[in-house]
Amino acid sequence: MNRNDTMIRTTNATTTVTIDATANTPRMARPARARLVANSAAFMMAALLAAGCGSVNTTYTRTTPADSAISAQTRVNDLFQQIFLTAKEVRMNRTKGGPMEVQIDVENNGFAYKTFSYRFDWVDTAGNVIPSQLSVWKVTNVPSGGSTVIRAIAPSDDASDFRLQLRQSES
Amino acid sequence: MRIRSVIVLLPIALLAPVACERARYVDTGSPEGIITVGNVDMQDILKASSGMLESLAETGVLKTAKNKPAQLVMGEIVNDTSSRFDVGEMTYRMREQLVNTGQAAVVTTFGNTPEDKQAQEVLRREKFLKGETSEPLPDPDFSLTGKITQVKRSAGDTKQVTYTFRLTLTNLRSGLEVWTKTVDMTKLGNKNAVGF
Repeated sequence: MNRNDTMIRTTNATTTVTIDATANTPRMARPARARLVANSAAFMMAALLAAGCGSVNTTYTRTTPADSAISAQTRVNDLFQQIFLTAKEVRMNRTKGGPMEVQIDVENNGFAYKTFSYRFDWVDTAGNVIPSQLSVWKVTNVPSGGSTVIRAIAPSDDASDFRLQLRQSES
Repeated sequence: MRIRSVIVLLPIALLAPVACERARYVDTGSPEGIITVGNVDMQDILKASSGMLESLAETGVLKTAKNKPAQLVMGEIVNDTSSRFDVGEMTYRMREQLVNTGQAAVVTTFGNTPEDKQAQEVLRREKFLKGETSEPLPDPDFSLTGKITQVKRSAGDTKQVTYTFRLTLTNLRSGLEVWTKTVDMTKLGNKNAVGF
């Protein structure tokens, strides 16, 4: 038996214990038991709502997009909306060192915690992808109601545009 | 008897393809790969090298070197984690990017423990034959050193490990640190998993 089997069994055992605990009230009167079950369910729902499944509150002080916000935002948004996220703003600037930098503000307005991975590929003025060790898959999380900034630096000064790929976690 | 055998064997036959996953190729460092809690994975190494390269590019520190392109010596990068892996997995990827794009040249003939002893011997011989000043040995601008550390914590069955990759670039003429970067990777869970 491997270690995973043990853990699966432990989880099942926990579930069984919970079910047994509910069932171990045979001497209680039927209406009382029904009331208990109803109260427990209501309490659990209230607890879940209060916890908000790890949601966060976010505030913004800026009211208008940055000067460097680019028109690619709509296309980036199309991509993000497929995994129920919103690209609030897309900025591209030239860094102090020379290559371009892209920053995308990603918002999660849904009710679920989102995990996704992304990869930026940079292209030159002719549209050719610049192969580099910088284009790797990175994973990030956005809690419900929260936001994150995904960013990437171009591998060379020749890079003028980027391509973004997204993969959503199944969990 | 035959019906009973079919009843017993049918679910097994149906579940068999689910239980065993056939070997297949995945992109190196892709999120589909195996994610372990207690080890540094390939995804972590690629993310670390990418983060370091991004920082080097955005600060432009290599462009401040006297030599063009900057001459770089690879110093010691210590793996101070319980995960056994070759640090070269990270550094060679960085070197590939820096050298092949012309941002830096790695000096492999420097110091008492050079990476390429034969090349160093040839250089020394040439220098000796042509005179002390005619063909100087490489004059590197920077050395790259670093350390990889871990912080492990657990709560019940759940484990959390943070792997921290730190690199430092030292100007060999001034002896000052001119660039440093930290890339963190935190993993949480109680068993290894196949990514998504």
